[in-house]
Amino acid sequence: MQMLWQLFKSFALIGLGAYGGGMVTIPLIQHAIVNRHQWLAFDEMASLLAIAQMTPGPIAVNAATFTGFRIAGFAGAATATLAVVLPCILIMVLVAPFMDRIGRNRHVRQAREGVQIGVLSLILYATWSYGSMAIHNLLELAIGLAAFLLLLLFEGRLHPVLVILAGGAAGVLLLG
Amino acid sequence: MEQQKKQPDAVPSTDLVGCASIFFTFFRIGLFTLGGGLAMATVMRHELVLKRKWLEDHDFMDAFSLATLVPGVIAVNMAYLQGRRLHGKAGSAVAIIGTILPSFFVILLIALFALPWFSHPVVAAFLRGCAIAVAGQLAFAGFVFGRRHLHTWRNGLVCLAALAVAVVPGVHPVFAVVVAGVLGYFLCVERGREKETNAEEETP
Repeated sequence: MQMLWQLFKSFALIGLGAYGGGMVTIPLIQHAIVNRHQWLAFDEMASLLAIAQMTPGPIAVNAATFTGFRIAGFAGAATATLAVVLPCILIMVLVAPFMDRIGRNRHVRQAREGVQIGVLSLILYATWSYGSMAIHNLLELAIGLAAFLLLLLFEGRLHPVLVILAGGAAGVLLLG
Repeated sequence: MEQQKKQPDAVPSTDLVGCASIFFTFFRIGLFTLGGGLAMATVMRHELVLKRKWLEDHDFMDAFSLATLVPGVIAVNMAYLQGRRLHGKAGSAVAIIGTILPSFFVILLIALFALPWFSHPVVAAFLRGCAIAVAGQLAFAGFVFGRRHLHTWRNGLVCLAALAVAVVPGVHPVFAVVVAGVLGYFLCVERGREKETNAEEETP
């Protein structure tokens, strides 16, 4: 029970911090699951994040289901999944009736830019904190750079799943 | 003069779409959409606005604006709002469950049956390559966001401050976002509005 509560708290926070797309959840997940609670080793989390993007569903939800299951079976999976979606549901319930006014509010717009920069800072931070753990040598760095360049070259037109698969293929060919 | 009492803007809901239809539609979307909430939002628009014509495009865009404004999983926010418009509270619940359920089961299946294979050398090498590609994704996301938001020195300052918070070990990364939000409220400028701010600064 204690574990379920821990799971719930951690993923509720992750669900709350999931702003501006799925990528920002990576540092949040890494912090909670690998650093703070040591529920998964980094490599396992990294595999999970890759799989979470190649399967249907938002990355945060998939990460929750997977981690929850690894820690506490079906109950853990259900708890973590519920936890990650609950905050945004609660917020929506409160905010939806005021939909129009909130979007137009000057203060909200002003703060929003700051929040998005906060998200940017987390992504930059994660590029280092995740990257330095996932990449161990020059060959792996080259693969990472290749992925970056692929995305840059085909900006917007390349489905992220394809890049991840390409990385996987490179892994099999070069790292196996 | 405004004589009426201020009431929260009501979201008109129609009951023309049954909950079962809502569930199956969102279940299908949840099952067949790969990629993040933005991709799912696009598919939702295609299904609900263009194909089934259950909603008008402006309904969708309103929902999208709010779903991306508010913290949380975008796909769930979208499901809530659109389900609500289609069949009130029941619709919103059913849409959310429909969206989440497929991925829940797919991940459970993978965890149950595929996990033992992770230690197989070829699979492990494949996953390692995937993990490295994700690092490349992060770098690219940083590049795209940076290009969009770091167009004034103030924004850069807020970014540095947030980074300073993020690098402190033990501090939950969400605090970086909170700090940036607060600082940004006072300092930041939306792209395209720099001229306004500069003009304000010049007037004595």
